[in-house]
Amino acid sequence: MIAGKTQFKRLEQYKDRWSSFGTGTGIIDISEKPTPEVLKQYPLFKEFDDKFLERISPDVSIARWERNAVLFEEGSYIDIAFFVVSGEVEVSFQKQSSGTEQLPIFSRSRTMFAEAGGAQAPTGRGKTVFQAQVDRQKRGTSIAFLTSIDFDLPSDGTLKLGPGEILGEIGAMSGWPQSVTARTSTRSELVQIRVAALRMMRKRSSALKNRLDSLYRERALSSQLKTTPIFSSLGDEFVQSLVQSVELVSCEPDEVIAREGEPCDALYLVRSGFVKLSQRLGEGSIVVSYVSKGSVLGDAELLIDGIGSWIHTATSKEYSELVKISRVDFTRLLARYPGVESGLWSSVVNRLKEAGNSKRVIRQSEFIDTALNKGLVEGNSILVIDLSVCTRCDDCVRGCADTHEGIPRFVREGDKIGNFLITRACYHCEDPVCLVGCPTGAIRRADVGDVVAIDEKICIGCTTCANNCPYDAITMFDTGEKWPEDMIPEGLRGKDKQIATKCDLCYQDPAGPACVRSCPHGCAFRVGDVKEFKSLLWKEVGA
Amino acid sequence: MRINDLIPFRWVQDPRWLLAFVIGTLVCIVTFVANLLIAEINSGNWWGITYGTVATLLMLGDVLYAVRRRFLEYNLGKSKTWVQFHLYGGTLFAILVLMHSGFRLPVGTMNWLLWSLSIWVTVSGLVGVFLQRWIPTVLASGLSTEVVYDRIPELVAQIRARSEAMIEECTETVRDFYRTNLAQSLAVPQLRAIYYVDVTGGIQTKLRQFEYLRPLLTKDDREKLESLESMYRTKLELDAHYTLQRPLRWWLHTHVPLALALVLLVALHLYAVLVY
Repeated sequence: MIAGKTQFKRLEQYKDRWSSFGTGTGIIDISEKPTPEVLKQYPLFKEFDDKFLERISPDVSIARWERNAVLFEEGSYIDIAFFVVSGEVEVSFQKQSSGTEQLPIFSRSRTMFAEAGGAQAPTGRGKTVFQAQVDRQKRGTSIAFLTSIDFDLPSDGTLKLGPGEILGEIGAMSGWPQSVTARTSTRSELVQIRVAALRMMRKRSSALKNRLDSLYRERALSSQLKTTPIFSSLGDEFVQSLVQSVELVSCEPDEVIAREGEPCDALYLVRSGFVKLSQRLGEGSIVVSYVSKGSVLGDAELLIDGIGSWIHTATSKEYSELVKISRVDFTRLLARYPGVESGLWSSVVNRLKEAGNSKRVIRQSEFIDTALNKGLVEGNSILVIDLSVCTRCDDCVRGCADTHEGIPRFVREGDKIGNFLITRACYHCEDPVCLVGCPTGAIRRADVGDVVAIDEKICIGCTTCANNCPYDAITMFDTGEKWPEDMIPEGLRGKDKQIATKCDLCYQDPAGPACVRSCPHGCAFRVGDVKEFKSLLWKEVGA
Repeated sequence: MRINDLIPFRWVQDPRWLLAFVIGTLVCIVTFVANLLIAEINSGNWWGITYGTVATLLMLGDVLYAVRRRFLEYNLGKSKTWVQFHLYGGTLFAILVLMHSGFRLPVGTMNWLLWSLSIWVTVSGLVGVFLQRWIPTVLASGLSTEVVYDRIPELVAQIRARSEAMIEECTETVRDFYRTNLAQSLAVPQLRAIYYVDVTGGIQTKLRQFEYLRPLLTKDDREKLESLESMYRTKLELDAHYTLQRPLRWWLHTHVPLALALVLLVALHLYAVLVY
């Protein structure tokens, strides 16, 4: 069924990729690939040379927005930072509309580990992104340090940002959803910079880095520290002094953060990204563990007397952001708030245990390395097939296809780990990069848990999400139809209609994913996270 | 009990169903012994009719699994549950058929057909179960590739095309080697019985011929030979899949058509019993 013009009305303003973040009409005009001369008119770019500006220009644009236009909404994923040139932007918590209670899509009831009738654990709806995260933390997940707070706003409060202010950069850089809604309160001119260019600019300009860091300290860090369980006992005054004294560290992929054997001088809190921990073994080294956002690094070294130096080499696996608390500050913190130490011990013990196991069972080390390389660490729901039980009947694929109008949403191919096949089905990632840059907002978090789904009615087949997905879990499907002659954007009119398709975890079906339900031998199952996967693998090898 | 606790027991995927089957079989035995003591063993008396009725109901339940596979989009419960019922219910059906016939060889053509088809369908089903338990374990034990059976011919054709394209750029020595040793093997998917005994099918031995040639080649040809070797290894693994996955599909031809014939004959049998 081809959608009519009205269905695509909302696309009207999306004249190019730069308007992808807008959720309402509002762009008056937009420049793409501005020349160095144009960019130099703005104070932000004055310190850069022409060659550098030429390099980043494809990722920079200048746009004029109508009054009351929504730049981004709370909970949305963007890869753009906005610099206000003129006008005013208002940021606020916009409570999501109350809806039905969420189905716990990633609860154990959706994985093979489920007990029948697994407990329901409703989350989130009717709450701000921030509040939802706090609740998640209270439910006892491993998140120790919140990251997705862009603004330290009071609930229902608003903040006006005028010329020279920056917004959106924290969520964009860390890959987390925006915690606020931003809307122009007057007609505004904004410089819009994509993350790739922003990273390059920040690396090149210490002034810009300092400015972004200082904004992070001012807007987010104190809230993050105060809402982090292990630091909840800290007084306001102490938090403020800590906010000013910590160092904010940004790492490139494969950058070494700490080297085994070198003196440990700080505690690191991971804001975003994954950090691989490896240890020397014989002539080489093995991966013993990893830490991700919300985790702490350097705790064992600072807490256990007599260690003093790093027991692992810590390497950033991707772009990572960390908060570095110096040894002096940390010692001061422990002296004043001894309760913090007990909070850190459990993570120390777990990591040391994991490191010990990895050295004892090399397969564990290999698995962690593979999990990091293959992105399993990102997954909320990974479709795994036990090949030693699978009869290759393909009923999982048929079940999927039959449930989705004849088009399967995954491929029964992929990497093998042990006897397990990691299929090319959406992992429903913690930080779904596929959401970034969708020009129509067709790919989004569904109203259920963390499911990532595509609204086929508004997908225009631009392939952005498919290209963004690192795991080839999104495929383009040729509908065999043509786009209608009144289609917007105009460029698509009369062309073959392709749409993106991916696993939606059958979230609208209370019986769960069709692939799992259709498997006659119970060898297709969903693994909720990498820890479940590991325990499964261990069971197989009897380790 | 958590399902993943049961993963190592590949031969019994769900012990609860095995337990139910054992209980069902015990009930059958006790009933049959009681029948022996109380009344005559006869398919026409109430005892015999009851055995036949329960067997028919189980058979109909088993048939429903085939129907369920046609409607995977509907939420009709987990396929695994259906399969377990199909397996254990089917075996119990055969026991009840034997009880119905009084553990005697049947008399008359119709009865012979019913009896022998019942046994055949049950045994072929059990053979299928054996294959479904055994072959996946073999496939998972020594192969690095994973492939969908129906795609094997297409993938082999791709490998052949890529190999031949590469050979065109090689020296005559490599071309000669390809023509003599590899061309025939890369032509089509090959069935080799050795894979049932050794899933790698002597792959290492077959790859040794590359070792003999390698020192004689230029650097450029050596690199191409390595790619060729890798493609050849993949082809051999595809052959293993082709050989081993084949019976997983073909045993169905020995089971399903005859099962359908059995259903029709049972319907005829019921008609005859009820009308005449």
